[in-house]
Amino acid sequence: MKKLTILLMIVGFGHITYGQTYNNFETDSVTAPEPFKPSKTQFMIRGYGHTGLNFMNTEGEKESSYVGSAFAPIFLFKHSDRLMFEAELEFGLENNELEVGLEYADVMYILNKNMTVRAGKFLLPFGTFMERLHPAWINRLPTRPLGFGHDGIAPASGIGVELRGAFDLGGPKLNYAVYSTNGPRLKDGSVEPEEAGMLMFQNFEDNNNSKAFGGRIGLLPFADSSTEIGFSSYSTSKVGTTDSEYENVGVFLYAIDFAFIKQIPAISGFIDIKGQYNNSDIDDATYTEVHEDGDEEEYTFDNKSNSFYAQLSYRPTMASSDFMKKLELVGRYSNLNTPEGAEWEERSDQYAFSLNYWLTWRSVIKVAYQTTDSVGGHDGGGTANGFFIHWAIGF
Amino acid sequence: MKTIHKILVVAVVIFTTGGMIVGCSSTKNAYTAATDVQDEFKIEKSGAQMWGEACNRCHLAPSPADYNDTDWSTIALHMRVRANLAENEIAKIETFLKSAN
Repeated sequence: MKKLTILLMIVGFGHITYGQTYNNFETDSVTAPEPFKPSKTQFMIRGYGHTGLNFMNTEGEKESSYVGSAFAPIFLFKHSDRLMFEAELEFGLENNELEVGLEYADVMYILNKNMTVRAGKFLLPFGTFMERLHPAWINRLPTRPLGFGHDGIAPASGIGVELRGAFDLGGPKLNYAVYSTNGPRLKDGSVEPEEAGMLMFQNFEDNNNSKAFGGRIGLLPFADSSTEIGFSSYSTSKVGTTDSEYENVGVFLYAIDFAFIKQIPAISGFIDIKGQYNNSDIDDATYTEVHEDGDEEEYTFDNKSNSFYAQLSYRPTMASSDFMKKLELVGRYSNLNTPEGAEWEERSDQYAFSLNYWLTWRSVIKVAYQTTDSVGGHDGGGTANGFFIHWAIGF
Repeated sequence: MKTIHKILVVAVVIFTTGGMIVGCSSTKNAYTAATDVQDEFKIEKSGAQMWGEACNRCHLAPSPADYNDTDWSTIALHMRVRANLAENEIAKIETFLKSAN
């Protein structure tokens, strides 16, 4: 028994000793992890969302509703340092339904340091608002200026091909974009008589063989990039459906945009001024109005529209209080003038004000008031006042 | 309207063709560094300064710590095209963001 105990102790201690000897730095089979090596192909989901509460008073008719919970994921597939695919979906709740849209989906390739080609559905550089400023976490107000969005006169996106780039002129900078897309199609009134003569920019399959051409040139004249002036144009010789009486109706649109953003120590904060003027000129055509008694009447009008907005915001980023630093005051004026004699004739002026609180650089709470005076338009005109509390977040 | 459209189409074609020829004839794809003589007299902006200027043109400047290096390279390519930034501008901003995150 004594011999067996001694033997077991020798085996036991020997095992421990061997084990301790094995687990040293020289012979350890577990190697230190290598530094993180990113893959060549990269994928990211970014995007934004927003939600809020709206109070509206239209000519004494009051309504309030929680709105939104809009969700707009952006998918970025980086194949190399030159090649990328990007797409943005838009999920929104409107009229008690979930609406899904494809904001853009395009492939881009960097040809050289001054030139990038894009193809697919992309945001059009017609001014700057729709291309750069419309996402809820970037737009300083809960609403868009008049002339943009549904029934707007400015195009938002198109399907086609684009060449763009920028030049550093040794202080000043110049950027450009030229593109060709399917172009808009003309609403001839056969489906919605009250919109005869309007342009529909959602032209997924071209209704004729004429393509639209357009471009924007932007100049940042000062070395601090505080100021940008841009000129955009967009034209097509045909917006009507092939073989229809409206086939040869042509369109010419242009926009002028301006931006000034600078931190000014004298007022302890950032001043941000933005503005854009849009002009739309559509060839005159004859449309048909059907009266309630069945009689038809032909009419025409000078099909010219324009819209404008100017926005001023101030952030006291150099204030001593952390709370004050995160505040922003915003004011915006916009107007819209559509053709006299059209069923959709409208003269509208809108003022909007907002007090924003920035939780982070990409999350903002907006408390806004907006008043719109209209003559004509879809709702027949009048005064509409709105109070909004919105929360937007980018990710 | 047709005349305006034709002028615009011709302008776009000339601009695109000319730009392609000039752009593709360049053998240098990277930002060309200044010569020694230029360096002596030139005050170059830092990436941090460009980050403050370029990003704030549309939205508040992002915090470098919010993304890692891999993400910043993806975002930089996206923003270069979306905001139409110059090559040297986005290169410096990306370098700054990666160094400060």
